[in-house]
Amino acid sequence: MEVSQFVAENYDYILAAVIVALGFVTGVLARRMNERVMEALGVGDAVEGTSVERTARDFGTTTTAFVARISGWVIYGVAIVLAVRVVNPLLATALWVQVTGYLPNVVIALVVLVVGLIAGDKAELAVSERLRGVKLPEIGVIPVAARYSVVFVAALVALSQLGVATTALVVAFAAYLAAGIILTVVATRDLLAAGAAGLYLLLTEPYGIGDTIRVEDMEGFVQEVDVFVTRIEDDGTEYVVPNHLVLRSGVVRVID
Amino acid sequence: MSSLPGLATDLVDGVDALFLFSPSGSYYERATDLEDTDVVVVAQENTVGADEFVELPLDFAEVTERVRFGVEGALDNGVVEDGELLACATSVFGDDIDTISRVRADDSAHSGIYDLFVNSRADPSVIRDVLDVVIELGRKGQKGKPVGALFVVGDAGKVMNKSRPLSYNPFEKSHVHVGDPIVNVMLKEFSRLDGAFVITDSGKIASAYRYLEPSAEGVDIPKGLGTRHMAAASITRDTNAVSVVLSESDGLVRAFKGGELVLELDPEAY
Repeated sequence: MEVSQFVAENYDYILAAVIVALGFVTGVLARRMNERVMEALGVGDAVEGTSVERTARDFGTTTTAFVARISGWVIYGVAIVLAVRVVNPLLATALWVQVTGYLPNVVIALVVLVVGLIAGDKAELAVSERLRGVKLPEIGVIPVAARYSVVFVAALVALSQLGVATTALVVAFAAYLAAGIILTVVATRDLLAAGAAGLYLLLTEPYGIGDTIRVEDMEGFVQEVDVFVTRIEDDGTEYVVPNHLVLRSGVVRVID
Repeated sequence: MSSLPGLATDLVDGVDALFLFSPSGSYYERATDLEDTDVVVVAQENTVGADEFVELPLDFAEVTERVRFGVEGALDNGVVEDGELLACATSVFGDDIDTISRVRADDSAHSGIYDLFVNSRADPSVIRDVLDVVIELGRKGQKGKPVGALFVVGDAGKVMNKSRPLSYNPFEKSHVHVGDPIVNVMLKEFSRLDGAFVITDSGKIASAYRYLEPSAEGVDIPKGLGTRHMAAASITRDTNAVSVVLSESDGLVRAFKGGELVLELDPEAY
């Protein structure tokens, strides 16, 4: 056997080896760079204490390391598939092409899911922080609802990225949102009306604190005007008048 | 033969309740193990989850004010009875509890300091915010010079009817509340204006530049205080407001309620 013939025959193997080695080096580099970039952007601090980070810690890693590792794996995978194709084109059947084409979707879905879980945790934290002053035990439902809404949307995006039929889930989510909005509007109709009227009253100030006014049969001097109500006081009696009532029935200013 | 711990025991001998002022969690745990002594926590926030709790609206620098507030609060809430003996453990020099004083709960020595915050028309947090602004104004002055100021808090409608404007109201059609940082800067700037600030029950600044015209009949304030204090005391007798005054001459912060002086603070101590 001639040397040149041997080289030509094994040229593919050498090329494949080079591709795998290159892929390995790029993968490691990409992983390190991603990790550093994420650390520099403060991702590590941002995910501190979220459930994703806790799960990652249980597996002896961190969220940033995990996401960075995924990017490394993708590059290794692509390099191996490329190498296999160079050595034996027959192996690179339609199935392989499909699998390699599908891979980025899986990665994106995974990343979306991780980001969604983190965002959900953050949303729960932010909402419960806002509601901290409200001393009502049942209020704890709202932060949890906010969290699962965010996670649900992330899961929807991830699933549709994978090509799973999500129409039913979208419909369910739309129904849930619509129910929430309708309930809020129905329940707070009076508050909305009073708030809109209150904005007008606050901006134009037809009567000020200390003025004597009459709304319907309630007469007294104004103690306070806020967005929703006007407080009128008269000799030990305080009328709390919703602002839309003031606009609807008009207000009489009593000038001595 | 007496010993040091023996002398200290006299201090806490036969007390009915132990008052802990801003205790740490472990200190509170140890205190709750005591038998036949009630434990009352007095702090700005109930971080230790105590059953008997009195909220401090201000971090009183003066120990007597702090203890007085705690005891009056506990009396008001019915946590302790008139005439009970109390041991008050508080901190004077550091952050940890380092001082114990023996106090008898006395309803007749009521100074009204707890009342000022909790039973006024205005929200306790509004009164606290106003006091914060006034204390800061007293400490820093206006551009380094001492200033005087008068804030009337709560029952704004009646206060407005018992006063007249000295000039245009700079807070007309503005809807700002005490306690917002930017508003505190505005209040400091406006403190060079003459007259009083009027603040509603919910903390909205209704007006500046008000000349108060209450009747000063029967108002008895310590001699030597000027017209600003007289006006401040009188308006609280005529209305359900409380007033907070920063004295230009001696730099002290005083609060009036029902025509009487209930609180006197030195802003430098905060």
